[in-house]
Amino acid sequence: MKASVRPYAFSIVGVAGALVIWQLLAEAKVAGTALPPATTVFTTLATILGTGTFWSSLGATIGIALLALALSAVAGVALGLLVGSFESVKYATLAVLEFLKPVPPIVILPLAVLVLGPTAEMSLFLVVFGCLLPIVMQTVDGVQGTDPVARDTARSYGMGEGEILARVVLPSAMPYIGTAMRVAAPAALVVTVVAGLLGGGPGLGQNIYQAQAAGDYAGLYGLVIVLGVLGLLFQGATRLAERRVLHWHESYREVVPR
Amino acid sequence: MSNRPAPTLPTRNRKSTMAQQPETRVSAATPRLDVAHLAKTYGSGGKARTVIEDLTFTVDAGEVVCIVGPSGVGKTTLLKCLAGLQPATSGRAAIDGRTISGPPPEMALVFQDYNRSLMPWLTVRKNLVLPLRHLKLSAAELKERCDSALAAVGLSHADNQYPWQLSGGMQQRVAIARALAYRPEILIMDEPFASVDAQTRFDLEDLCLKIRRDFNMTILVVTHDIDEAVYLADRVVVLGSRPARVLKVVDVDLPAPRDQITTRSLPEFARQRTEVLSLIKRPA
Amino acid sequence: MRNWVIGVAAPVLLLVAWWFLSADSTDPFFPPLQTILVRFQELWLFEHFQSDVLLSLGNLFLGFVIAAAAGIALGFITALVAPVRWMLDPLIHFLRGIPPVALVPIFISLIGFGTQMRVTSIALAALFPTMIATVDGIRSVSNDLLDVSRVYRLTRKERVLKVLLPAATPQIFSGLQVSLQVAFIVMIASEMLGSSQGIGAMTLLAQQSFMTADMWAGILLLGVIGFLVNILFSLLRRRVLSWYIGSRRLARAS
Repeated sequence: MKASVRPYAFSIVGVAGALVIWQLLAEAKVAGTALPPATTVFTTLATILGTGTFWSSLGATIGIALLALALSAVAGVALGLLVGSFESVKYATLAVLEFLKPVPPIVILPLAVLVLGPTAEMSLFLVVFGCLLPIVMQTVDGVQGTDPVARDTARSYGMGEGEILARVVLPSAMPYIGTAMRVAAPAALVVTVVAGLLGGGPGLGQNIYQAQAAGDYAGLYGLVIVLGVLGLLFQGATRLAERRVLHWHESYREVVPR
Repeated sequence: MSNRPAPTLPTRNRKSTMAQQPETRVSAATPRLDVAHLAKTYGSGGKARTVIEDLTFTVDAGEVVCIVGPSGVGKTTLLKCLAGLQPATSGRAAIDGRTISGPPPEMALVFQDYNRSLMPWLTVRKNLVLPLRHLKLSAAELKERCDSALAAVGLSHADNQYPWQLSGGMQQRVAIARALAYRPEILIMDEPFASVDAQTRFDLEDLCLKIRRDFNMTILVVTHDIDEAVYLADRVVVLGSRPARVLKVVDVDLPAPRDQITTRSLPEFARQRTEVLSLIKRPA
Repeated sequence: MRNWVIGVAAPVLLLVAWWFLSADSTDPFFPPLQTILVRFQELWLFEHFQSDVLLSLGNLFLGFVIAAAAGIALGFITALVAPVRWMLDPLIHFLRGIPPVALVPIFISLIGFGTQMRVTSIALAALFPTMIATVDGIRSVSNDLLDVSRVYRLTRKERVLKVLLPAATPQIFSGLQVSLQVAFIVMIASEMLGSSQGIGAMTLLAQQSFMTADMWAGILLLGVIGFLVNILFSLLRRRVLSWYIGSRRLARAS
């Protein structure tokens, strides 16, 4: 077999093998009814994909994630630019953020559910909580990393502080912001699902909880597979977006052979 | 243990896996390194790239041979084939008559990029010890080897520092010390002094000659610096044209011991230097 | 120096502000900080310390250690044995995209509601980041280091344990940090979904029973644990990767 084809052949064997093992384990009733056969799961999944409720649920999940991401981006970049531009504010804020950084949104989920109830607003709040921090911190880093020569050049051309911020600092901070967004986008999806699963917010998370509670195991596995695919799509879309927006930056430039 | 008459080196304790190869007596007539029509091609079909085409030269015991050529000609590829890191496409490289098919136990290599050839998580001393562990030496002998190697390169005071805490020249000296502690019989160096400043370069060149004198080591140096090649070598192998071929092997008739100031001001030095330079610069 | 003072003062000032602003609060959602702290001490120190705090922490620790060991071991095998890598690559890329918390219902259905389910969930969810980082770390070990290990004829064991492993450790630790976060999150989630014991379970219970101060006490404790666990990890990292941190600092300075 040609060497270049071999990896793909093995990959196919790997996926197929996993499915086969799954099917065999399920049919042997290794875990009772809790492990439905792969075939059942896929047929159930096909059925689910035909229902309207699924698609509105999917829409809710994606919608909340994207909306929260957009809110976090705007607020995060704005805050980051502000904070990063003033020394004392920066240190004060960073000190506080250091305490909040290791606290994932799930920790304040009970509070969010208490105050906002099992609603879309609650989900939105949680996702923003989870995504805002990294974006702010990365933006601050980006502001820090602005080439002082570029800044001085702009000043010598008579640009005002606000203009410098928008035209010099912001573009040079873009790679940092891009990294933050690349990390935040899948996180937004994850937190949306968590908010649904544990907090009752709308979306696929809630559907998963309901499937498990009702003993609909085939549906449960089907929905998890949907989430996996969704995760892959989010990752891919984020990477594409990053490349489009940042194509001018060094790290994306094609190396011109000497 | 080797059945060969050992050169003047302390006893080696080395597990040779070359035992299947026929033992060859090293006499003055058998070159230590024998390269015959060595060729190396990367890739295949339409994307094949022949880097070296037909290299033939020898290195005798205790010699210093320098390989020079224009940059990109394939010197590093040659070294990798000699060190057994890559198989040749055709032709043969042999050490004491045995074909080289893997890293030979009596050979050590000093790489060009010392930054990436020293282990940054180990101190200088531990870097030296790492290749010696599998030789099953006693603790006392380990210490003695490291101490003498570090002393030979003048770094006895730095043994507990990390490589990245040292200057470039010092790091390259650590790499040389590591090779010395390994007690090879053949030392191959790939543009070892290219990344250090001129002053350090002169010191390291003299260190090279000192090592050959003290240990009767056979040394092969790849360099693009012609002055350096003429200064160091007993013979200079001049490579030319892409893909690489041996243009000429030049005997260097300069007196020993070499000295940076007097040797380099000899008219003979300039003549040999010009000879090598014109060989390289000749249109292919 | 001035920045350091600001850095310490800011959180302290915020806490003080919280205390005073909430002192006379009758808001059901935001009780006085004082009340929260009193409940904090009453609940966690020490009435429920052993039954819930230690339980949660024990699960977290056990799950994380299993994930770390398995992740590194599997990572090594995957990185070094090409056919294994080819087979597992698509599966891993798919599985890593699933929100770890979404795996908990599956484990509940398979294993039930007990400690095993929780530890298994934590371990399996936290496995992926470390495994993926280990594979990346090993695959990106500089070729020069590998050439050195071949030229000096290091044994295979030496090559794996004394060259590949240390060289990949910086990247492995990045993966471990993510795994730790995931383990923490899944610990909480597994308790909230299917348990009556543990900090997460108690906090959720308090919220559902409108015992707001207790809920806040739980949130505070979880926040403190998250913070402390991260600090411990950073200290460990600084110790193990002292060579790496030192060399990066020098490289940046030059």
